[in-house]
Amino acid sequence: SRRKRARARHKPCALKELEVSISELGLGYESDETVLFRYCSGTCEAAIRSYDLSLKSMRSRRRIKKEKVRARPCCRPLAYDDDVSFLDAYNRYYTVNELSAKECGCV
Amino acid sequence: DEILRSLAGPPSPPGQDPHGWRVPVDCVRANELCAAEPSCSSRYRTLRQCLAGRDRNTMLANKECQAALEVLQESPLYDCRCKRGMKKELQCLQIYWSIHLGLTEGEEFYEASPYEPVTSRLSDIFRLASIFSGMEPATTSKSNHCLDAAKACNLNDNCKRLRSGYISTCSREISATEPCSRRKCHKALRQFFDRVPSEYTYRLLFCSCKDQACAERRRQTIVPSCSYEDKEKPNCLDLRSTCRTDHLCRSRLADFHANCQASFQSLTSCPGDNYQACLGSYAGLIGFDMTPNYVDASTTSITISPWCSCKGSGNMEEECEKFLRDFTENPCLRNAIQAFGNGTDVNMSPKNPSPPVTPPPKTEKSPALPDDINDSNTMYDTSVITTCTSVQEQGPKLNKSKEQSLCYSETQLTTDIMPDQKTFVDQKAGGSRHWAGRILPVVPTLLLRLAL
Repeated sequence: SRRKRARARHKPCALKELEVSISELGLGYESDETVLFRYCSGTCEAAIRSYDLSLKSMRSRRRIKKEKVRARPCCRPLAYDDDVSFLDAYNRYYTVNELSAKECGCV
Repeated sequence: DEILRSLAGPPSPPGQDPHGWRVPVDCVRANELCAAEPSCSSRYRTLRQCLAGRDRNTMLANKECQAALEVLQESPLYDCRCKRGMKKELQCLQIYWSIHLGLTEGEEFYEASPYEPVTSRLSDIFRLASIFSGMEPATTSKSNHCLDAAKACNLNDNCKRLRSGYISTCSREISATEPCSRRKCHKALRQFFDRVPSEYTYRLLFCSCKDQACAERRRQTIVPSCSYEDKEKPNCLDLRSTCRTDHLCRSRLADFHANCQASFQSLTSCPGDNYQACLGSYAGLIGFDMTPNYVDASTTSITISPWCSCKGSGNMEEECEKFLRDFTENPCLRNAIQAFGNGTDVNMSPKNPSPPVTPPPKTEKSPALPDDINDSNTMYDTSVITTCTSVQEQGPKLNKSKEQSLCYSETQLTTDIMPDQKTFVDQKAGGSRHWAGRILPVVPTLLLRLAL
């Protein structure tokens, strides 16, 4: 069952959601309003391309030394959700865009 | 909608409402029926020409016009009605008023509503709300119902989208002199109240409050700085005249008068003791010249008014006050708002003389909960939910069992003591099959696996 648990933690890149208060977002807004925060989470092992393997190889052969390169795909939003509007603690309305992910993918 | 309808009860046969009454034909349909009949359509054309740009008296002085009106009273156009938020609502109302403006005096205090009577009750909304939310609010004593309502809306994609739509439109500054586009703000508000189910919109609009912060949030619901307040307060009768020049505003006002007019014959002061109908026609006024709102953030007394006063009424002062009182001192409207806030509806038994007193009938959770997690709020209690949108979007290619193996809830995944973890074993295989088609040649993956 240890193996199963390890696999469960390394699930493939997918959209997840969390109910959070606006204040928790850390964007500087003060509001108790709750919003749905959708984010991308998971691994991208299955999305490794020849590019990544080659880049890794170049790095290990020290053909690439100084530059910062990333030799594995990342689980990131491919599209963002619509705007989110809320009323803050001082009765002012705000609208935030690109707050929440809509679609995820390995890029 | 489909879900709501199926939860609301068995479908009724077409052409009949659940009570077995004949539903009147809508005016768009009546117009089609009339157009198919040469005598009706020619009379209707005549009448429209009579009405165009003429007042009622000049029109009726014309014999041809009068004859046309008399004939049309026998046609289906005469008692046709419209539905709020229906397709072609404006066209429907134009047809309605083209006949009815000729029939009424035109300057009556109360006009008949062109809308179909509302037969659903508040308890229907409570029942739906309790299914969706598991009766979530009122769990803590310090709860702010208006905040809970905002949460419920934000967690529903449709409600969130249309709420953000009107808030961003109504709070977008145009220039230093123009704080917002009132026209666009009103349009966005109308979309919100027409397209979002009332268990969400009523909760935002009529939440009950114990403190001022809550009451101020309730007052702010419609972004009053843009949609409600104005530099000057017009006279209420002038505002009514403006409203009556617009078919939609005129209809919504007539509907408000029909459903919220204080009546001394009923327990609740509402016509037919129907709170739902009154709240619905109140919400129907939002986004028009006659937009009503709470005048302050008082928690004890609820006062509603459109943005107008009776200053400068001249000899019409009495009529103006009477018009304004239907908003500011209307026991039906007040009872309806309070009943909604308290989660109560009218029990029709005569043993309860002081309304609102009766709690809504407690309904068991329906076993037929909606399947679509994206659109329902059945997940209120789980703070983390995994969806599988990207996978579902490729839906048709995957069969059902594969889909399920890719969609699991966070609680399932994080709970190590879950007895049945079979789904996780299949998950990777399913996952790579899915991603493989989209991204990569299989060989490097195998190489990588060997290397690890």
